[in-house]
Amino acid sequence: MHSQPVLIDCDPGIDDTVALLVALASPELDVRAITTVSGNRPVTETTRNALQVLDLAGRRDIPVYAGCFRPLILEPVYGQFHGTSGMGPVELPPPSRDAEPVHAVDFIIGELEKTRAAGSRLTLCALGPLTNLALVLRLRPDLTGAIRRIVLMGGAFRVPGNRSMTSEFNILVDPHAAHIVFSSDVPLVIFSLDVTTKAMATPERVGRFAEIDNPVARTVAGLMTYWDRNDIKRFGSRGGPLHDPLVILHLIKPELFGMERARVFVQHEAELTIGQTVADWFDKSGLPPNADIAVSVDVDGVFALLNERLSRYGD
Amino acid sequence: MTKCRIVIDTDLGVDDALAVLSALASPELEVAALTVVAGNLPLEAALSNACKMAALAGRPDLPVYAGCPGPLMRAQVYGKYAHLGAFSDSLVPPAEKSIEALHAVPFLVGEAVDAARRARPLTLCTMGPLTNVAAALRYSPEVAAGIGRIVMMGGAFTALGNCVPFAEFNVYADPHAAEIVFSSAIPLVVIPIDATFQALMTETHLAGIERVGGLPGKVAACLFRAADRSDIRRYGRPGGPVHDAMVIAYLLKPELFSTARAAVGAEITGKTMGHSWADFWGKGDREANAEIVRAIDEEGFFALLTQCFARLGNSDKTV
Repeated sequence: MHSQPVLIDCDPGIDDTVALLVALASPELDVRAITTVSGNRPVTETTRNALQVLDLAGRRDIPVYAGCFRPLILEPVYGQFHGTSGMGPVELPPPSRDAEPVHAVDFIIGELEKTRAAGSRLTLCALGPLTNLALVLRLRPDLTGAIRRIVLMGGAFRVPGNRSMTSEFNILVDPHAAHIVFSSDVPLVIFSLDVTTKAMATPERVGRFAEIDNPVARTVAGLMTYWDRNDIKRFGSRGGPLHDPLVILHLIKPELFGMERARVFVQHEAELTIGQTVADWFDKSGLPPNADIAVSVDVDGVFALLNERLSRYGD
Repeated sequence: MTKCRIVIDTDLGVDDALAVLSALASPELEVAALTVVAGNLPLEAALSNACKMAALAGRPDLPVYAGCPGPLMRAQVYGKYAHLGAFSDSLVPPAEKSIEALHAVPFLVGEAVDAARRARPLTLCTMGPLTNVAAALRYSPEVAAGIGRIVMMGGAFTALGNCVPFAEFNVYADPHAAEIVFSSAIPLVVIPIDATFQALMTETHLAGIERVGGLPGKVAACLFRAADRSDIRRYGRPGGPVHDAMVIAYLLKPELFSTARAAVGAEITGKTMGHSWADFWGKGDREANAEIVRAIDEEGFFALLTQCFARLGNSDKTV
C-alpha cells in the first residue's frame, strides 16, 4: 500500500497524544519525524511527552526534534486542560532516549530540501501553535513549493473561541505565526473548533476505548476520561472535544468530513480579538481561497475509526 | 591582545560596505562571518555585495551566510538606493567566492549557543533589519544567553524618520523583529539616526579615504558618491551620514560616543508601525537594556574611519 510521508509538529498535550497514537497505528501514514513546539506545555515538556508517547507505541525508530521555546511576539501561554505534565493523570515511564540534536526548524528545512530535490512534496501536520512552521516559511520561502499542504488543528470561524471570547488556543498563542502560515501560498486543511466541538469524546465513547484490551487503548481511555469538560450547557453533552486527532483521521479517511473552501485570515493586531480567525466564505477579500475548512463530521465514523486503530496495538 | 570576536549581520548597501571594510581592516576585531539579510537591497544583491567586500578587503576566506529574504510580518520594503542594485562589476571587482550552505539563522544560533557554553559571549553587530537575529532568538533560550551584546544601527528617537515621517529604515523594514530584539534582555548599544546625522561625510573626507585607502578606498568613495546622501535642508550643512560605519567605530573607540541608558521598543501595529521609542526618563515598565548613542565626536569618527582605510591601503597590492 502507498503510505503518505508526513511530519507531525505538535505540543503534547492530551489530544496531541491521542492523535500521535492513531497516526502511529496507521499504515496509510509514514510518520517521518515528530517535531515539538511550546504550546500546551513548555517545549522541554512537550518534547519529553512526545518521546514517552513514542516509547508507549513501541516506535523508537521515529526521531523527535525539539522546536521553538516560545511564540514569536506574544509571551507564552500554556494549556489549561492537560494537567501539570501535559499528560493529565497518565504517568508514563521516563523516555528511553533524548530528542535529536538538531532544531525542529532546521530539520524541517532539511526535509523540505530533500523533498524538493526528489521532485516530491511533503504533508505537514500541525497540532499546536504554528511557530516552527512560520520560521521555516520565513527562513526559506523558496521551499514553500515542497510543502504539499499543511493540515492543522486551529481556529474558530463560525463559533466562539475556547481560550478567549473569539480565539482558539493554538492560534491565540502565536497569532503572528498563524498569520505567516495563513498568508503563505501553502494549501491549508483546517480543523477548527467549528468541527472539533462536534466530535465529543462522551463518557460512552470513551468507555468503548476502555474495553479494548491493550495498554495504549487503556492510556487513551485514561486521557480522554480526564479530558471530559463536564459542560453540557456549552457542548451539548458530557466529554471533551476531539481536537487534534481529527487532523490524523482526515489523512486516513477524508470522507468522514465535509469541507468548504475559503481564504483564511488571522487577527494579530487588535487587543480584544487577537487570534481570531476569519474565513472569507463569500469572496469578499478578492483573494483566492487557500484553505479547505472542515465544517461537518461523521462523528460515529470518527470514533469507530479511532477504536479500530487503537485495537491494532498489541499487549 | 584578545581580539573582540564579532559577527556582522548586514543588508549590505553602501554604508554597510564602509562598515564591513573598516571592520576587516581592524586588528582589534575578529570578524567571524557576515550574515546577510534583505533590507537596503534584495537578499541576492546584498549577498553579492558581501562577497565583493570580503574579497576587496583581502578576506575572500571570510564566510558569508544567506539569511532571511524578507521581514517576519510586514510587506517588504527596500532602501532608498535599492535601484542601484548589486554593486556593478565595473565599480567593484567581481569576487570568486561562494555563499555558505548553512542558513544565517542556524549559523547565528550555533555561534551563540557555542559562545554560551564557552562562557565567551558573542558581540553581534547589526546594520540592517533584525529579521535574522529575531528568528535566531526564538530557537532556544540559550541563544540570548550567548549574545553578550548587540551593537546596532537602527531607530530614530528625536530625528524622526528617514524613510517615512515616523520611523528609521532598519526598524521600519521589520518592526516585529526589532521589537523581539528590543524586548530581549540582551544588552544593546543602539546607534539611531539621531546620532548618525551628527557626522556628515564631505567631499574632503571622501578624498582622504580615496587617497589613503588603495582600491578599497577608491571603491568606498565611488559607492558613497553614487548614493549621495547630502540633504542640506535637513542637516544644515553639506555631507551625508555614514550610518552603519558607526557600529564598527563604536567597537573600536567607544569614547567617541556618548550614550544614555533606556528601554527601547518598536511599534508593531497601526499606522505608525515601525516607530521606535526610547524611555529615557523611566516612564514605562520595560527594564532599560540599551545604551543609546546621543552624541558623537564627528572629527574623531572620520579620523578613525580614514585610519581604517589607510590600513586597507597599506595592505592593498593592486594599486
